[in-house]
Amino acid sequence: MSLQIALDVGGTFTDGIVLDTQNNRILVAKVLTTPSDPGDGIAAVAESLMLQARAPASGFEGKVGRVVHGTTLVTNMLLERCGVATALVVSEGTLDALDIRRELRYDIYDLHIEYPQPLVPLQARFAIRGRLGPNGEEWSALRQDDLECAAAQIASGGYQSIAVCLLHAAVDGRHEHQVADALAKTVPALPISLSSEIAAEIGEYERMSTTVANAYVQPLVETYLASLRDRLKTIGIDGTIDIMLSNGAFTTAEIAAKAPIRILESGPAGGVLSGVNCGLVENVNHVLAFDMGGTTAKAGIAIDGKPKVTHVFEFGRVQRFKRGSGLPAVAPSIDLIEIGAGGGSIARLNQLGLMQVGPQSAGAEPGPACYGRGGTEATVTDADLVLGYLDADNFLGGTMRLSIEAARAALARMGDRLGLGIEETAWGIHNIVNENMASAARTHIAEQGLDARHFTMVATGGAGPVHGVDVARRLRIREVMSPIASGVGSCLGFLAAPARSDRSWSRVERLAELNAAELEQRIAAAQQTIIAELAEIGLPPMEICWRLAAEIRYHGQGDSVEVVLAQHSVIKIDPAGAVTAFETEYRRLYGRTVPGGVAEVVTWRLAGESENMVRQYALAEIYAKDQSTEAAGKRRLYLPTSKTYEAVPVHERARIPPGTILAGPLVLTEPESTLIVAYPATVSILVSGSVHVMLEDNQ
Amino acid sequence: MSARIDPITLEILWTRLTSLVDEAAATFVRTSFSTLVREANDFAVVLMDKDGRNIAQSSQSIPSFICTMPVTTRHYIAAFGREGMVEGDAFLTNDPWLGTGHLNDASMAMPIFRNGAVIGFAGVVSHLPDIGGRLRSPGNKNIFEEGLQIPPIRFLRAGEVDETLVAMIRRNVRVPDQTMGDLWAQAASCRHLGERLTTLLEETGVDFDGFADDVVNRTEAAMRSAIAEVPDGTYRYTIENDGPAAMPGGIIRIACAVTVAGDEITVDYTGSSDQVALSINTVMNYTFAYSAYALKSIFAPWIPNAEGSFLPLTITAPEGSILNPRHPASTGARGMMGHLLPPAIFGALAQVIPEKVQAAPGSPSNSFQISNAGTGDPWVLIGFVGAGQGASAERDGTAAISFPSNLSNSPIEAIESLSPFQVIRRDIRRGSGGVGGRRGGDGIALEMRLRGDEPATASVIMNRTRSEAPGLNGGDAGALALLQVNGETVDSADHQTLLPGDTLLIASGGGGGFGVA
Repeated sequence: MSLQIALDVGGTFTDGIVLDTQNNRILVAKVLTTPSDPGDGIAAVAESLMLQARAPASGFEGKVGRVVHGTTLVTNMLLERCGVATALVVSEGTLDALDIRRELRYDIYDLHIEYPQPLVPLQARFAIRGRLGPNGEEWSALRQDDLECAAAQIASGGYQSIAVCLLHAAVDGRHEHQVADALAKTVPALPISLSSEIAAEIGEYERMSTTVANAYVQPLVETYLASLRDRLKTIGIDGTIDIMLSNGAFTTAEIAAKAPIRILESGPAGGVLSGVNCGLVENVNHVLAFDMGGTTAKAGIAIDGKPKVTHVFEFGRVQRFKRGSGLPAVAPSIDLIEIGAGGGSIARLNQLGLMQVGPQSAGAEPGPACYGRGGTEATVTDADLVLGYLDADNFLGGTMRLSIEAARAALARMGDRLGLGIEETAWGIHNIVNENMASAARTHIAEQGLDARHFTMVATGGAGPVHGVDVARRLRIREVMSPIASGVGSCLGFLAAPARSDRSWSRVERLAELNAAELEQRIAAAQQTIIAELAEIGLPPMEICWRLAAEIRYHGQGDSVEVVLAQHSVIKIDPAGAVTAFETEYRRLYGRTVPGGVAEVVTWRLAGESENMVRQYALAEIYAKDQSTEAAGKRRLYLPTSKTYEAVPVHERARIPPGTILAGPLVLTEPESTLIVAYPATVSILVSGSVHVMLEDNQ
Repeated sequence: MSARIDPITLEILWTRLTSLVDEAAATFVRTSFSTLVREANDFAVVLMDKDGRNIAQSSQSIPSFICTMPVTTRHYIAAFGREGMVEGDAFLTNDPWLGTGHLNDASMAMPIFRNGAVIGFAGVVSHLPDIGGRLRSPGNKNIFEEGLQIPPIRFLRAGEVDETLVAMIRRNVRVPDQTMGDLWAQAASCRHLGERLTTLLEETGVDFDGFADDVVNRTEAAMRSAIAEVPDGTYRYTIENDGPAAMPGGIIRIACAVTVAGDEITVDYTGSSDQVALSINTVMNYTFAYSAYALKSIFAPWIPNAEGSFLPLTITAPEGSILNPRHPASTGARGMMGHLLPPAIFGALAQVIPEKVQAAPGSPSNSFQISNAGTGDPWVLIGFVGAGQGASAERDGTAAISFPSNLSNSPIEAIESLSPFQVIRRDIRRGSGGVGGRRGGDGIALEMRLRGDEPATASVIMNRTRSEAPGLNGGDAGALALLQVNGETVDSADHQTLLPGDTLLIASGGGGGFGVA
């Protein structure tokens, strides 16, 4: 059982790797995603991996013991609104909470913005009497007649799933459980999502939105995962199936099927983990994971191997790159910024007469002008080609020939309008798109109270290594790394992911006056459920690393700060120590504390996790090639510092032996991507197979 | 005239500068103590050239701050002289007439030096946690009741603090640590922004004056060409809102005449009500800000918020009117009038570009501040209630939204945990939007019952309880707003005492409909 497989269904490609855990060698496969049934693409990738592994020369042995899967399925279902008919049960007086939202506009100057419609229409919402107060005390009991009435209407309404979100359920879920019990009698076949279990955080709108989204996709995800298991069996893979979560950990398919809202961002999470893993192998403790593909670029940070996790995520945006134009999901997710900048991003003149790159993308059809499929507008890929950053004959491993004539023609049309030549226009596009990415990353890092200069960039994705070094330079980051097989980066992350289980509960309470006995009881109860869940995944209690964090704020403030109160094994809370920990974190973020401020806790979060896994992957095909430190050829590359084209060495990455040190400017080619170093730099091939670029003189 | 910068370098620099300003804004939000700054973006960070022209402004700021920091900065230049400024100086005022229109906002600017000369200014304007005076009361009769007035002063001299001044401010506000904390955060943010600008200019070798000219020229040209598409003419409209009982019918009028002449627009508010002895007066800067907000939203919402976008606009109001009051008018509840200016301008322009405007909203936004009136643990509950948005030619108005400001509601769970209230319901007032070819958005009904055994004092600022939001082009008006205690309608201006068991209902108005149904 020494083999493990990772499968990632993305928007464009379905990627896979198979890992031989005896020697850490991997084989990769990639096909186009099959949107009508993603299982087709998965099966094709899995079959390709098995075929490669079973080849006598592969050296791969043993059976597949485990599959880790990540997918954009939930994201797409929520965006395309193709979930099931869902009923919602709420407290009396909150029937309109999904329509009222937080009353905010996401663009104050656009008078005609559209808002996302709730997933559950008004007629599918049922209000019941009975209330808990903010401390979980019962203000009024639930009423049998209301429960029966709601159950009867749900039974006759043709619903396939139920969401329940009652006021103060984040503090105490007992009313929600009573509702669930009553519904189970009338509609036993319907799955029920309770807000106290899916998203136990204060704030009824966000919690309701999350619970509804979970219920809306849950039956479909359950079916999908069951059919995935069957499908893999027919290919001869019958190991356990684990699912990537948005928070950068994995869980079992059974657990994921109950709370699919937690797998919303599983693919991008894998991408960041791949960067984190690459950093961990080299003992880098500040990682900026940078991923650039066809339509978007993403960036996320990780410190000491832990990706930054956020607790609210937006899905189903009306405008993809506008914050606030989507619906909120309270679910732990790796904190990523995404901007509309990718290889396909189109350059246009805006109304100010300036060139703007993205967020419109040429996509795969017609694609950039150089694809020769009818695209006429200049894109980032066209610019990269003219600058020598891409090779017309070796794009996507030589599977597609690019037309430099078409790229130049598109750039000439744009350049004429700006009064610039073709090369100047090309550099302009490259320059602008890199600046956009650097600006977004700079602001993201500043928002965490951190300094970009302390980070090492790990560049992945088809276009990541093409643009990464220049983006890093703009951020004054000196070191850039690129892992092997960066084109299947998410999969590399999946197999390095820890197992993890989270529980949270809310209660506004002054930190100094904590009821320690009650808190210990809650922690113990949460620990028990986490231990049970992780046991299902196969992690024994002794190997669980615990992390207790609390959202704490000064009384009267709206925003809270996440403070880690206990780590590793023992979970003990000392109120005075907690106040000190809060003040230390507050000072780190904001430079000072609030004199006379009263610290209060809002939400508690307990996580159990396996140890960080560090995977030193080795690409199997490396061993099959002739090793050489000699350049395979030369290519004319645009060098921004001198603003000239010069012939620089081109190395085939798979042929360079580890330990080799080269000098930039240079080009390193791989089948899925190309690393461009257009500046003076020391470029090392590490033992791990990763490439390390140290920029000279980066201010 | 310096050489024009090529369009690519300009785009890159503009992105860099906007990013610098947004980064400074992110730092400021994190270090601010003001809940309004954190939750309602009630602040702005502005990078200006040496003449105080706005070159880049933080992306998230609310309409109140359009063009105010440049105006304030030009007052600093006039009062202190650019040649008299040295590195590390910081200038400060909260004068409503020179700044943003109420005492709560502190406008701070620091000169940015290069080679010994002022090349620009970094400014941060922000709503302070407290400024003394009577709290949030529309009943304040003049500015002296509203808190501490800080005339334009040199807050820092070459980085040195005037301790006398600090002691004066501290003594006059309720939460001195937090108020001073926010002022220091503003200063730190200005300094940081200035340093980042000079570093950027050194790296790139760009002449900031030339860059500023280019930014101003391009934004101005874009705004002018958008305006030029509208047929010339003068378009008039009058809109009303609740006013003091002393006014005829308790109603205040905003009259506007919008004149489009070629690529310029003038808005004149002659005919509007006179200034009143209530804090709903709106100084010229604020009148300009909300008028400019409306015009920018109509013509060029996509232009970055830079000086040029506003150069083709002229806004006038007679001195002594509610939109241009004389000292010592009180101005703390300026939003009640200022928020009417966008619907007034929309109404005028509906006659000529109906597809670009929308009918009046059921707001200005309503707000409440309720506190314990007993002897037990003190608590304060502050909240906002949005209303229905007006309909437009293409779509129904959105229900339950904050417009034209952008203030979030508080979750029911937060209200119940901060105060002894039980929220009975927060509903959409279905059918409250005005009927029309397109319907106005519906308002909100928030009903709360006081639990426990102590009374509370409620101050609720309501709008549109006597004058509904009018429809446009044949659409009907939205329903009136309603303030009730135990089912009895009460006057919004009064402080209400609530007894245990009392029920308070705040029901906001519907937006106006658009077109004939």
